[in-house]
Amino acid sequence: MNNKWLIKGVVLGLAFFLAVLLVKPIGVSTQFVILDGIIYNAIDSDVITEDENSSTGYTSTNAYYAKSDGKYAKAIENPLNYSFVFVLAIPLGAYLASKLKSKKVIEDEVEKDINSNDLEVLKGSGESFIKKYGPSFVSGVLLLFGARMAGGCTSGHMMSGIMQSSVSGFVFTIAVFATAVPAAIILPKMIFKKGAKA
Amino acid sequence: MEILLAILLGGFFGFALYYVGSTSSFNLRSMLSLRYLSLMKIILFAIGFSSALVSIFALIGLFDISHLSVKSTNLGVIVGGLIFGLGFGFAGKCPGTCVADSSSGGLKKSIAIILGGLVGAFIFTLSYGSFKELGLFDIMDIGKMTLFNISREFPSVFNIGFSGLLSMGIVIMIIAYILPMNVKQRG
Repeated sequence: MNNKWLIKGVVLGLAFFLAVLLVKPIGVSTQFVILDGIIYNAIDSDVITEDENSSTGYTSTNAYYAKSDGKYAKAIENPLNYSFVFVLAIPLGAYLASKLKSKKVIEDEVEKDINSNDLEVLKGSGESFIKKYGPSFVSGVLLLFGARMAGGCTSGHMMSGIMQSSVSGFVFTIAVFATAVPAAIILPKMIFKKGAKA
Repeated sequence: MEILLAILLGGFFGFALYYVGSTSSFNLRSMLSLRYLSLMKIILFAIGFSSALVSIFALIGLFDISHLSVKSTNLGVIVGGLIFGLGFGFAGKCPGTCVADSSSGGLKKSIAIILGGLVGAFIFTLSYGSFKELGLFDIMDIGKMTLFNISREFPSVFNIGFSGLLSMGIVIMIIAYILPMNVKQRG
């Protein structure tokens, strides 16, 4: 019996636990909004304004940035805040971990277990620039549009949410799996099989 | 101090995401297409484990309950989740794992997802007002509800506190343990 998964579960669980113990639950998708806002505000400085009547001291002409008393507006004006720096630090840690090459280990395990026809479909491929990066780009649009509408993503809703027994976390997870499972099975087959023939 | 914590905790989170193999879209798609559930076991165990740790620390008085933060439940969570799932299943990446991957493996594809994500988040930013007027966030709005009564700030389904959350954590860890590693396809 291979218990490597158990150690990995403990490490990932510790990351979520330490974050909420020391500061607050982990979340990622909001920071896409903040980075957008920083760019938007740099182009049009009227977007975010100071506002004495708001508890954060900021408001915005955009209803989303102005929501919750200008919470996002404040973060956009002060990007050196906990949540934004947290997300910027993610690639640093991931880079360190990449030295351990654990990903390769898991992929080898999988390759032993599923037959080679399935592998082609799972890995995905494409030759032209659009075929190679177009699906990723469109997926990214869906991911963040959906996450912001839901108010969180895999980290904030699914993991941090369920960890606190938040109803929204369970509801989000059920909704995500309802489309993610069919998408993972059907969509790559459609696109990549066509690509393979051409 | 807070910025130092952000670097340390964000760094550790990124380390964990990569270390467990969640940054590989191949692994995530294997999980989502229900072929190989190793990652699902890991994620479920992580949720149960962190739940149990929070509960234990809270029960012995070493946890600051004001750190908890629960999100609202409303129709937006369902519709948003359904849209999110399409991108999740197709790309085999979520917002966190593509940021973690952007420093390692499938760099170019992750950058394409991040750029798409910035566009998606911006489209939502511009359309938020209209969705709000439509009442998307008012339908099925039950507020920041939790199953267990872990803080006075949030309404709860059951009138049990951290002992309830601890039990839930243990149950989730057991499910993670029982779940099979790979689902053999018949025929």
